[in-house]
Amino acid sequence: MLSLQDVHTYYGKSHVLHGVSLEVGPGEVVGLLGRNGVGKSTTLKTVMGLVRAADGRVVFDGRDLTGLAPHHVARLGIAWVPEDRRIFRLLTVMENLRTGLDRQGVTEPRRRELLDKVYASFPVLRERRHQAGGTLSGGEQQMLAIARAMTLEPKIILLDEPTEGLMPRMVAQIREIIDVLRRDGLAILLVEQNVPLTLEVCARVYIMEKGQVRYRGPAGELRANETIIHQYLGVSA
Amino acid sequence: MIPFEQLLVQAINGIVTGMILALVASGLTLIFGIMDVVNFAHGDLFMLGAYVGTTVFVTTGNFWLALLGACVTMAALGAALQITTLRPLLGRDPLTTILATFGISLVLQNYALWQYGPVPRKIMEPLTGHFQLFHIEYPWYRLLIAMLSAVIIGGLWLFMKYGTYGIWIRATTQDRLMASAMGIPVPRVHTGVFAIGAAMAAASGVLFAPLVGVNHAMGFDFTLRAFVVVVVGGMGNLGGSILASIFLSLLEAFASLWVSPAQAVIVSFIVLILTLLFRPTGLFVPTPK
Repeated sequence: MLSLQDVHTYYGKSHVLHGVSLEVGPGEVVGLLGRNGVGKSTTLKTVMGLVRAADGRVVFDGRDLTGLAPHHVARLGIAWVPEDRRIFRLLTVMENLRTGLDRQGVTEPRRRELLDKVYASFPVLRERRHQAGGTLSGGEQQMLAIARAMTLEPKIILLDEPTEGLMPRMVAQIREIIDVLRRDGLAILLVEQNVPLTLEVCARVYIMEKGQVRYRGPAGELRANETIIHQYLGVSA
Repeated sequence: MIPFEQLLVQAINGIVTGMILALVASGLTLIFGIMDVVNFAHGDLFMLGAYVGTTVFVTTGNFWLALLGACVTMAALGAALQITTLRPLLGRDPLTTILATFGISLVLQNYALWQYGPVPRKIMEPLTGHFQLFHIEYPWYRLLIAMLSAVIIGGLWLFMKYGTYGIWIRATTQDRLMASAMGIPVPRVHTGVFAIGAAMAAASGVLFAPLVGVNHAMGFDFTLRAFVVVVVGGMGNLGGSILASIFLSLLEAFASLWVSPAQAVIVSFIVLILTLLFRPTGLFVPTPK
């Protein structure tokens, strides 16, 4: 469904992605692991069109996304949950959700249905719907970022380090929501530093190093192979 | 000791000027907030709006049609200017957009001079009566201006607060990249905001025209004052600009009880300097942590 083919990306003169290729099938949950600064977040931004791919192709549902503006990419069914959450801090929780809900082609009943679904997954957001996004706690902001992405009714969500800096209780909740999204048939490309969590929720995993994919394989294989984890990530699972 | 009546008259004068200034300044601050563009052509949109108003007024004889016609024409012109001149410069050094809008300003001014000539034109006010305010005859039209400005600003506020497009504008102002990733058509939002700003400038131009007469340089004075207001209120802060407009106009009105109105303007500049020295983010913004 989503495929990157030999994608090269630059920030100014620095070459960040050196030919990244990866694939995510419909409804598949795929992990993207790697140390800090190897280009995981840049990979997601390149898919969104927030950073322009200098070479290579990004294809989604048979359509070439390369060079497309981010708002067109979003409307094709790709949602992005950025690493730093990027909540609209001065907008209320409800207004944050409306950035995704107020689209063409969303009927009023459908809109209500979507909102109910989001609130059912994150009851705390309903309580705080009139509160400014910037006043939420870190965990609540992460929930809002995911909820906001869900309002776009995407086919795939690009999740960038959703558990970073969260308390264990919140991490468990994020984990649950990933399961819910998967059961709904959404594909997820998950960038994480939390190796055990990634191996638990993902079917397949890619490991990046220095702007390239160095390892690809089923999560089970990686779970059984401590050496690879240690070699590329410097941690043990 | 200054008599109480005179203080009250000056207070009303201050609020009336403040409301019209707020109308000019809110367009300016909206554009700055969302695009980081300091629009030096804003006063000329005000001026050209007033001229378009005179043309419609001469043809139809109807003040309200003149107001509407000027807003619609200037919104369209504003959108066209944004697409052709500013959109290609998005994300470039702010200096390039300053030069671009300065260039637009020169073109618009000279166009107005060429098209309409150097003799000032006038629009007749729709309301000519006066009412007795203590010892003076106060024109109803001045109060009407203040009320219409308040209505337009109130409308803008409702639009920004509840409308989908308003939420798009606020989201884009806060985080352009995230807004586009949420499917918000950011380039279209930019154009829309510029069009709204131009229409508001045109509205103030037409409302102000019966008081002063329309000439090709009338925008200059207003741009200058609107810039002072926008800085004092906090760049990009809509509410702050409105408060600052009224605050500064009141100060000037009261100052002119002691000094000539031309000298009273100095008060605004003193406030500007103090603001820049002690609260550079604006009087009405919480100081950032």
